[in-house]
Amino acid sequence: MAGNEEQQKDNADSLIADIQKKITEAFDIFDHESNKTVDVREIGTIIRSLGCCPSEAELHDMLAEIEEEEPTGYIRFEKFLPMMTKVLMERRYKPAPEDQLLKAFQVLDQDGKGYLSPEELTKYMLEEGEPFLQEELEEMLSAAVDPDKRVILYKDYVSTMSVEDV
Amino acid sequence: MGCTTSTHTGSNVSYTKSRKAISAAILIQKWYRSYVARLEIRRRYTWTIFQSIEYAGEQDQIKLFNFYNSILSQMNPDQDGYPKLIKVFNQRRRTSTVVDLEEEEELLRLTSPSQIHINSSYNGPHLSFPLSLSQLHKLVQAFRRKQSLHARYFIQILLETRLLLKQKPNISKASTSISNKITICGDLHGKLGDLYMIFHKNGLPAVDNPYIFNGDFVDRGAFSVEVIIVLFCCFLLHPNEVYLNRGNHEDPVMNIRYGFVKEIQAKYEGNAKKILRLIEDVFSWLPLATVIDNQILVVHGGISDTVDLDILDKTDRHRFVSIMEPPRGFSEDISHVPQDVLVQWKQILDLLWSDPRHQLGCTSNTFRGGGTYFGPDVTESFLEKHKLKMLIRSHECKQEGYEYSHNGKVLTVFSASNYYEYGSNRGAYVTIHGPEHRCHFVQYMSHHSPSLRKITFTQRVCLTEASAIDDLRERIVSSKSELTESFRHYDTDNKGKISVSNWCICMEMVLEMGLPWRTLRPRLAQIDNSDGCVLWETTFEQLSIRNRYSGNGPSITETLYRHKDNLETIFMHIDRDNSGFISMNEFEDAFGLLSQQLDIHFGDQEIKEIASCLDINKDGKIDFNEFLEAFRIVDRHGKDKVSKTSNLETMDASVLPSKGKGLVQKEHVITEDEENR
Repeated sequence: MAGNEEQQKDNADSLIADIQKKITEAFDIFDHESNKTVDVREIGTIIRSLGCCPSEAELHDMLAEIEEEEPTGYIRFEKFLPMMTKVLMERRYKPAPEDQLLKAFQVLDQDGKGYLSPEELTKYMLEEGEPFLQEELEEMLSAAVDPDKRVILYKDYVSTMSVEDV
Repeated sequence: MGCTTSTHTGSNVSYTKSRKAISAAILIQKWYRSYVARLEIRRRYTWTIFQSIEYAGEQDQIKLFNFYNSILSQMNPDQDGYPKLIKVFNQRRRTSTVVDLEEEEELLRLTSPSQIHINSSYNGPHLSFPLSLSQLHKLVQAFRRKQSLHARYFIQILLETRLLLKQKPNISKASTSISNKITICGDLHGKLGDLYMIFHKNGLPAVDNPYIFNGDFVDRGAFSVEVIIVLFCCFLLHPNEVYLNRGNHEDPVMNIRYGFVKEIQAKYEGNAKKILRLIEDVFSWLPLATVIDNQILVVHGGISDTVDLDILDKTDRHRFVSIMEPPRGFSEDISHVPQDVLVQWKQILDLLWSDPRHQLGCTSNTFRGGGTYFGPDVTESFLEKHKLKMLIRSHECKQEGYEYSHNGKVLTVFSASNYYEYGSNRGAYVTIHGPEHRCHFVQYMSHHSPSLRKITFTQRVCLTEASAIDDLRERIVSSKSELTESFRHYDTDNKGKISVSNWCICMEMVLEMGLPWRTLRPRLAQIDNSDGCVLWETTFEQLSIRNRYSGNGPSITETLYRHKDNLETIFMHIDRDNSGFISMNEFEDAFGLLSQQLDIHFGDQEIKEIASCLDINKDGKIDFNEFLEAFRIVDRHGKDKVSKTSNLETMDASVLPSKGKGLVQKEHVITEDEENR
């Protein structure tokens, strides 16, 4: 069965190679000085754009792992690549499926109205969990609030967002 | 909300409830943040696509410049008959032996406004000189109502502007001692709405409100005429408070390709020739830079390690009608351009075309094809040498309208909002205050549609992205056969599938745009979900609806897409007098010389026949549509590469028209330098 094992090893190798190319490309988009470093404030965007969905706390842990001993404000590619490869190979921080997201909205809609008022959503997003900045909140509301009914029809919202987000 | 329920039930339940609410909030928050991150990466690559396409166009243009340069470097210009070709394209300008005085007389005679009569049906604004502020107000209002200014007044403005500009030094000196502030605007590119926005927010230029307009007033936008009229009128009213710096688009060669010539031809049909002749002269009198309080240099592009303000100060800037062509007076025999003039030429090119980069040193600007990339060390030593503290430049579109680089020593200001597409970027201007020169930025986005609803970030990204992807698809269709060939090479078992990696390799190898293909892949091609391979034919799928030339089959479409810009440029070069038509004489002259230089001999009669075949409607002249339609353009990629120096010289006339067929079948073959594309 040695042949089979070799086959499997080959497959794994090409999978890693593929993942690493993907990581390199995403990293390069943010590497403005073409010196294989990116601003530490953009690392979250890179990680998330690669299909991961970590919380802020988890992101913080990932950062701690790759930051220099003396933080420079920059993250080096050679540190980022192995960490990110591992995360993607182990399929960590997978995004929640649509129904789970819908359930989360239902939890916040404690009266079961089928919608949230902008005030309700604002309160939860600014005060609970890992609070949004005002800017993040406004941007979210601008797309989430139904222009006619002035409320968040979260079922519609979740489904349009998942369609848009190819 | 949930308060009533929790008061009635025990605290334990309430605790669980709030725990649940927190984890629900976290789930929503992290999901939303990921969504925004993916949006952000789309915004970034959209930007890259636009820039890549924009600079590819400029590269084509600069090939012309390189062509001249390569000739300059040859000691004996007689080989291959090159000088004749230059002659073809330079006849459009002036004969070089004319001395300045005579030329000036000729120009004034040619453009005398008294020859142009104002019809009683003209309902636009009337002007008298010297201009008054109330006339400027009327003019601004008239343009707002989409009225146009009469050719006679336009010419008068140009003549007056020219007289004043001639008195200005190459490098203007601005001072903030009286006004205590000065405003700097970057590229406007024919966007009148942005200029009006600036005046609305910051007021019209005045003694206590000086302005520096840092070049690129024209091209690309639809209102270049109106923009320069308003700017020149401001300058006429306040010649000491309005500073106009030349940009790389204040250049007749650029104007041919980027729309200004076309705009003039459309708006001033009968007088286009005169106006264009006068404008290129006015442009060549524009100062090259402005220094504020001996401390801040304001220039359109940037600097290089050779730029020296003392040399530039002594240059005859008027010589450089186009920066892309040999200076005036040397067009006949450019091998004799003296060394000092060559040095000046290079310096002006560097001033108008360069971009700052993070990397140290000074390298040639391969992306644009002209000027340099200059590093922070170059900036540092330049500023030190000239005892300056800062460099303000424009030339590059920035998402926020302005951007600092080189440790705050270089500031880019770009004033055309929505430059690539509605929503793509903000425009900005900077006002500098007080003796310590504090910078204050004002950003804006002018609305081109009366849509009142504020669009969300998501919509903005999607809109701009769609437009960028459309432009990209146009690029893809223009290289369909090379791409197909390349895909086939990897598709060894002919299943129509290749790996994502190989697909990316093909895209970059053929299109050479340096784009994140892997990230773009979902927008451009589909994959087979069972094995993750790209179904490569889907790369071309969404293109068919855009196929405007469907009757002619794919290869014609492809070549037309690829060559339309170049054909248009060739057309305008042959059209020496900028009339919008190629006269029979112009065609015969150009064609005669081109065929000589390609060493194919045919008689005058034969050339006449070709010219007449091209004139489909037999009105004695060839317009651009006739030019496009009648030329059967055959892509002979790989078969007959004539030369690699310029697009223009690859015009090849190899086969004569078969008599009696009416239309020309396959006379002209335009090949393109594949390596450079």
